[in-house]
Amino acid sequence: MNLSRRIVFVFWRNMVSYKRFVMTTFLASLVQPLFYLITFGIGMGAYIGYFGGRPYLYFLVPGVLVTSVMMSASFECMYGTFVKMAHEKLYDALIATPVSAEDAVAGDIAWGAFRGLVSGSLMMIVAILMGILPVSPASVLLLVLLMVFVGILFGSLAMVVTSFAPNFDFFNYYSELVLTPMLFFSGVFFPLDKFPPWMKTLSQFMPLTHAVAVSRAIFNGEYSRGLILNFAVILGLGGAAFLFGVQRMKKRLIK
Amino acid sequence: MEPVIIARGLCKKYGTLTAVDGISFEIRRGECFGFLGPNGAGKTTTVRMIHCVSPVSSGTLSVLGSQAHVDNRALKQQTGIVPQEITLDTDLTVRENLQVFAHFFAIPRTEARKRIAELLRFVELEKKSDSRIPELSTGMKRRLLIARALLNRPKLIIADEPTTGLDPQARHLVWQRLRRLKSQGDTLILTTQYMEEAQQLCDRIVIMHRGRILREGVPARLIAEEIGREVTEVRAAPEQDGGLLAALGPLARGHERVGDTLYFYCDDGRPLMKKVLELDLPATVHRPASLEDVFLKLTGRSLVE
Repeated sequence: MNLSRRIVFVFWRNMVSYKRFVMTTFLASLVQPLFYLITFGIGMGAYIGYFGGRPYLYFLVPGVLVTSVMMSASFECMYGTFVKMAHEKLYDALIATPVSAEDAVAGDIAWGAFRGLVSGSLMMIVAILMGILPVSPASVLLLVLLMVFVGILFGSLAMVVTSFAPNFDFFNYYSELVLTPMLFFSGVFFPLDKFPPWMKTLSQFMPLTHAVAVSRAIFNGEYSRGLILNFAVILGLGGAAFLFGVQRMKKRLIK
Repeated sequence: MEPVIIARGLCKKYGTLTAVDGISFEIRRGECFGFLGPNGAGKTTTVRMIHCVSPVSSGTLSVLGSQAHVDNRALKQQTGIVPQEITLDTDLTVRENLQVFAHFFAIPRTEARKRIAELLRFVELEKKSDSRIPELSTGMKRRLLIARALLNRPKLIIADEPTTGLDPQARHLVWQRLRRLKSQGDTLILTTQYMEEAQQLCDRIVIMHRGRILREGVPARLIAEEIGREVTEVRAAPEQDGGLLAALGPLARGHERVGDTLYFYCDDGRPLMKKVLELDLPATVHRPASLEDVFLKLTGRSLVE
């Protein structure tokens, strides 16, 4: 693993390019989660009313936060990276400089995580404007930290997918067969405890489940010992996916 | 002149395919060295190993005193690459492209600004510095690639088919820039399929075919050795070969038939041309020998698939 501080240069390249379409991405990353908040939160929330002593939105918002991190980081490390690799051949130019293939890929994962953080933070601001506040200012900071880890996790997983992708269409499999189901099996919209045992087990294999659990605990200040396991999954799987994704991409880039 | 690049038994294999098959060569400081060959000859693969983006399968390759290797950052810091494909950052402006690359080479900001201004002038793109890449013509993109390759003040410049897809004006501008670099004493490596380009720029060349080096030398000398000074092309059906060869063969150094044409290679074509006039062969071309003749003679005049 030939990593260096040059990761920062790659991140900076993305920042220079980002300033051109920052507004469009703000809009794009806000719309879908906003729909969830409005339709589920307000529409369904009106039926559900209170949930564990608080309005339904306090249940929903922390889940939607990490979901939007997941979506943004994943899409950046799939489509964004693929365009740079296959269409613009930018990676070829990069690895001819002292930036190594590992630096380039790690820089893009860091970038994906950052894009996730931006989307999640925007959602948090919207939620706060709607009057749905995290339990304390410290929670806000912890949530930001969590979003960084969740971004690295999903950015790295998407990078693994990209390393195998022969073309754009390939990403549909991942987003339709993995990301979308995760949205419904990870306790974003409703608690998992009414699921039959096999579904509960299945949901434990979904990384988003663990991200949602930690996010909700921090948002509402309800900590329990089980969270250590959830967080360990985020860190462990994130680390493994990072190493594997970087390695796989290097193989693809250097022939 | 001391060699800056020494390759010994250099091999590159992709699975069962051997792209470069045990070649040896030396490139000296300050010269322009050309790799010529048809598509798939192994030119690009060879230069990719030299600039450390492709691992060497076997053999040794020493560049500027160290072994070429994909993790050799120090070596990449000293080389400048003009790639075959246009690998510019299309989201960025001309200036931003250079700024971002200056960053990759860890060039300090004020120094980078100075070099970028110089290089934009060198490739005549000052007026385009704030344009986005899609707004540039292919010739401008190629020139920007040259500027980008020079940002780190490289000791070794590698241009991989730098004029592919350019119109004659743009091609000549690129040649002028490359020649100017050569006159500054930079070591230049060029791969090309254009013989004129090699003749214009290269001090020494190797002709590659199917992963091997067929010939090595100074272009003019290679032409003299392989072909002679002049070439006479006679368009005639193969049935006439007997008569034509009997009449013209003794007056030439050598001959070759390809399709509808007989090629006669001569050092002095006058006796042969007299005979041609005597025989009254209308479809005849007499011209100076070129590197293209050497190339086609060695790699075969038929299509390489």
